[in-house]
Amino acid sequence: MKKNVKKDVIAYRKSCKAKGTGLSHYILMDRKGK
Amino acid sequence: MRKTMTTSVGEAPPSRGRFVNTGNGPGFQVIDIGHTDYVAVVEADTAFWSLIKRSRLADALSGALPKAFTKSAGKFAKEMQRLRFGLKPSAVYFNPTERCNLNCTYCYIPETMRQSGTHMSEKKLLEALGILKAYFKTTVPKDQLPQIIFHGAEPMLNREAVFAGIEQYAKDFRFGVQTNATLLDSEAVDFLTNRNVSVGISLDAPTALVANRTRKNWDGQGVYRDVLAAMDRLAGYDGWSVICTISSENMRHLTRLVDFFHSRKVPTCLMNILRCTLPSSHAVKPSDAAAAKHFIAALDRTYELYQQTGRKLPVGNFANILLSIVAPTARRLMCDISPCGGGRCFFALAPNGDMFPCSEFIGLKKFRGGNLFKNDIPSVLASEPFKLVTGRKVEDISPCNRCAIRHFCGSPCPAEAHELNGSMNRIGAFCEFYEEQVRYAFRLIADEKLDGFLWDGWAEGMQDTVMVDYI
Repeated sequence: MKKNVKKDVIAYRKSCKAKGTGLSHYILMDRKGK
Repeated sequence: MRKTMTTSVGEAPPSRGRFVNTGNGPGFQVIDIGHTDYVAVVEADTAFWSLIKRSRLADALSGALPKAFTKSAGKFAKEMQRLRFGLKPSAVYFNPTERCNLNCTYCYIPETMRQSGTHMSEKKLLEALGILKAYFKTTVPKDQLPQIIFHGAEPMLNREAVFAGIEQYAKDFRFGVQTNATLLDSEAVDFLTNRNVSVGISLDAPTALVANRTRKNWDGQGVYRDVLAAMDRLAGYDGWSVICTISSENMRHLTRLVDFFHSRKVPTCLMNILRCTLPSSHAVKPSDAAAAKHFIAALDRTYELYQQTGRKLPVGNFANILLSIVAPTARRLMCDISPCGGGRCFFALAPNGDMFPCSEFIGLKKFRGGNLFKNDIPSVLASEPFKLVTGRKVEDISPCNRCAIRHFCGSPCPAEAHELNGSMNRIGAFCEFYEEQVRYAFRLIADEKLDGFLWDGWAEGMQDTVMVDYI
């Protein structure tokens, strides 16, 4: 089995429009886990 | 503004920022993440991060990393500024009653309120939703619906009023109900699921013996069986989730709880560390290290099950920590950011119309900012009690102000800091628990396991920035 070659560096960041509205007591389910 | 040094030959040029950790150069902090091959390097203010092979660290610090940081720093700083200070409210945690039919060990709402408090009348509830609808038209973009979460105490004790509100304002809000599940009969489940209302229920363990230790009624009887019956009724619906509160009573059972949730096809769950806002919770406060150990074992188990079955069980609060690193603006929960979301992204409404920055403050009169029926919402948001919360920043808290992961943790929670540790500018009840989560998150990123812990399609529509791709 071919072994994955590990990169010297891993660094990325994704961006989108911020909509964060939830608090830890609740999560609004608009995303499925499947 | 930075001062430059004056010398005998005039004004010296400022540092050009070429070198890491000196002059105007980037302040990089190296974190041992417990990984065989990688360490993390973080610039805390912008939440800039990279994982560097241990053997290449020195090269990275003197070469590619400061250059890459300089290139992206402005963009990331703006992103963090907007995330931390530029958002407007788009959700309300709406308590339609003070009462609860349960007396859970760690509840943050005072016992007298839960035992003999008041309901909001249907008329007032509808009036409140009308006021909120008008307000959100001024803050929420047209392509987005504001969110109303009926929360508690136990909202289903005031079911008729809640359902009337959902019916009348179905087109104006996205609704959710967070309930202890004991009153979720078939009729209630049909009503909520037919209207796509998100339903959150609570369960702390996979067995009655453990679950009933902390979640019980006023006679001391556990409600495990009632919750399982509600889970059966919700099976097959996409829009439900389960919250588990991690305490000393259940932490050893989290891995088995993951198996239990997964076997019952729970779409997603939260495993929240206990909040220590009120003294009653302190008796079941776990140590940071023990809670982290068991929590991380449970997260590992979700990944094993995903590999075995192809079906994920995202743990929402941990998914949020991962997002805070790889896509800060995509975070969904606003507890682990500073300032937290209380009073700026959402606020809480008590049954008499009193407004608080968050449900966590509902029992604390000092944090009442005004009343929905008497004051206009912007003036309440600008009130001194709200400012106490919205003005709480990691930069003013020790050791957060020198902590590399301060924007992945956010130093939660202000209510806890105030009540447990005596001041807003103190940490909350847990610190090492968050450290361990962030270190674990970095290890998952290093091992390319990230997708197994997040929802399918989590990165859809996002823009990519490759921060460093070589050393």
